[in-house]
Amino acid sequence: MFYQCQKCNRIWNYPIKKCPYCFEDLIEMKSEKAKVIGVSKVNIPTLLHPKFPYYALILEDENGNKWAHKSMKEKSINEELSFPSSSDKNAVAIWRIKYDFSEAIEKVFNLLDGLTIKEGMKILILPTLVSPSHAYFRDNTSPEFLDAVLNFLNEKKVNIKIGGQSFDDIPVEASVQRSGLLDVCLKHKITPLDLAKSAFVKQGKLEISEEALNADLILNLPIMKMGRAAAAENLLKLISKNNYLGLKYLDSEEAIIKEVNQALADKIAVVAEADIVQRPDKFTKFLGLILAGRNNLNLDKVFEKITANKNIDIENIPLVGREAEEVQQNAERL
Amino acid sequence: MTKFDYSQKPWWQFAYEAALEALEDAKMTMSDIEAIVFSGMSSAAGGEHQTHKVSFLSDLFKTNIPIIEVPSVCGGGGAALWTALRLSGFKNILVLASEKLVDNQSEVVVDWILSAAEKVIEQTEGMLFPTQNALLWQKYAEKYGATMDDLALIALKNHQHAALNPKAYFFQRPTDLEKIKNSPIVSSPLRLMDCSLSVNGGAAVIVSTEESDVKIIGSGFATDYLLTFNREDITHFKATRLAAKQAFEQAKITPQGINVAELHDAFTSVELISYEDLGFVEEGKGNELIKSGKLNLGGEMPINTSGGLKAKGHPISATGLAQVYEIANQLRGRCGERQVKSPRYGLTHNIGGAGGSVTVHIFEKV
Repeated sequence: MFYQCQKCNRIWNYPIKKCPYCFEDLIEMKSEKAKVIGVSKVNIPTLLHPKFPYYALILEDENGNKWAHKSMKEKSINEELSFPSSSDKNAVAIWRIKYDFSEAIEKVFNLLDGLTIKEGMKILILPTLVSPSHAYFRDNTSPEFLDAVLNFLNEKKVNIKIGGQSFDDIPVEASVQRSGLLDVCLKHKITPLDLAKSAFVKQGKLEISEEALNADLILNLPIMKMGRAAAAENLLKLISKNNYLGLKYLDSEEAIIKEVNQALADKIAVVAEADIVQRPDKFTKFLGLILAGRNNLNLDKVFEKITANKNIDIENIPLVGREAEEVQQNAERL
Repeated sequence: MTKFDYSQKPWWQFAYEAALEALEDAKMTMSDIEAIVFSGMSSAAGGEHQTHKVSFLSDLFKTNIPIIEVPSVCGGGGAALWTALRLSGFKNILVLASEKLVDNQSEVVVDWILSAAEKVIEQTEGMLFPTQNALLWQKYAEKYGATMDDLALIALKNHQHAALNPKAYFFQRPTDLEKIKNSPIVSSPLRLMDCSLSVNGGAAVIVSTEESDVKIIGSGFATDYLLTFNREDITHFKATRLAAKQAFEQAKITPQGINVAELHDAFTSVELISYEDLGFVEEGKGNELIKSGKLNLGGEMPINTSGGLKAKGHPISATGLAQVYEIANQLRGRCGERQVKSPRYGLTHNIGGAGGSVTVHIFEKV
């Protein structure tokens, strides 16, 4: 995305708000087309790009703006680059966050045809809320990410609720406050809900929060964590704590997640924050990514493929936006 | 300056050795030094990553004088010199730079060096320094018709020069065109032999208000955007042009008056483009200049007699001061087999990143 001052015409790649020369608000420069004007085949590995060879491209849009782009496939000069969308419910969208969450969020929604937000929709947002810790620990969805999602949704004039639930002794109120998410909720005039205090409705083996059942769309908003199925895990917060503990005694977590997915499949979508994520040892790692889809388990698999460098088969998962190999990095290295 | 190589001394030892040589050469001791300007971006591993180097240097030299750190990655040495020249109230200033950067697997070292480039927008898209420069070179070559054979001549020249420089990594190890042209492609079209050599090392310069036989008569500094591809012109380096203009205006000479120069050949393509940006030749004619032989030892204006970054080695921040070391020694007639005949004017050109910060200094033998 490029940002331009309409008075002096200077252009920035960084999402700043005001021109320091004119003090005018910058406008976003929308572009439809990207043409390849330079290609270099890279034959050496680096920590950010362990798979090689790859192709480093210079792209140029119809406004004459130029930027760098990586591709695993060879491209030719003057070739137009396009990113087709998909309406497949199993598709996972991958995009790069380049400082601007808003741009990335808009892009992944555009890449997923089936994920249409209609005016008046009732949306329950489910951020990761597991610890009363500051945002930089990356335990919880970041306030900046939630804020950008709310800004995006508010433009669609929808009814939003934000919920979470604690499955341990830490009250969800403590997590929502320390994480900074409370400030964002209040900024948007939303009172976060403790789903544990909502009514639960029995559906088969599950006791599902009424807030989830009453929503037109449940927007799972996890922060991804390496070595964990962070997106799917977060969905468990839609059932009651007792129900979860009881089922866990009998079944694997994966089986419970599948049940929840099945029960709410038509109304679940996931937009996952993977900009800076937690590694298994709790240290954080920059990935600069956003992932989205309707199938949480697929999204977790794609994330694992990107970060774990293991031989995980994701061939049957339709990918839109960036290719998994393009964004794969040696994430185990700090 | 120290020998440029892969020795595993700590960063401060490179700095110390270079400083000692400079003091001896100037017939001074640390008591004569009133301020230090230091530049360095390392040190990567070995548990010695130190961000309070000014205090470390105070300890090392047992002094309480002002010490300023001026980091500007590969352009750090030049930026430190430019800064020192503008500090008033000091008689003798030690300008110092050192790096111990090459101390791990190349992926890790490259990652450290890449901290001099933009990460979120460019590096994530596969832009390494060779890649940025390969793409800039493509645009240049497309516009002006230069070829990879032209770049091979630059690599050959600088390796021939380095073979004569005892402090160069490739001292007494000349190469040939065949090897250069057949070296592996790193980032197309640039080959391994188009890339400079990351090494460890240190360099030091003393600037003084006292009379000296070598004077700095021009000093220019300019910057450009970190994001490489949305600059005004992606076939040239605007910052070099601006810094050169400042330096030549101060020196009151033209580029054609330069007798010997050290250019920032981080990639052979950068050296060729810089011939034009520095005004040695008109735009699009850089390839004719290298083919003319004028830039080789024995030519009209030998360039990179030290071997350059390409073959002497490139210890990031120390490079800019190592260039001054070579030019000062050339002007003083101390370069032995690679001595240029009676040079009067010398020039150094030091770049940070892919053209993001540039200093140009002009020297006169008086």
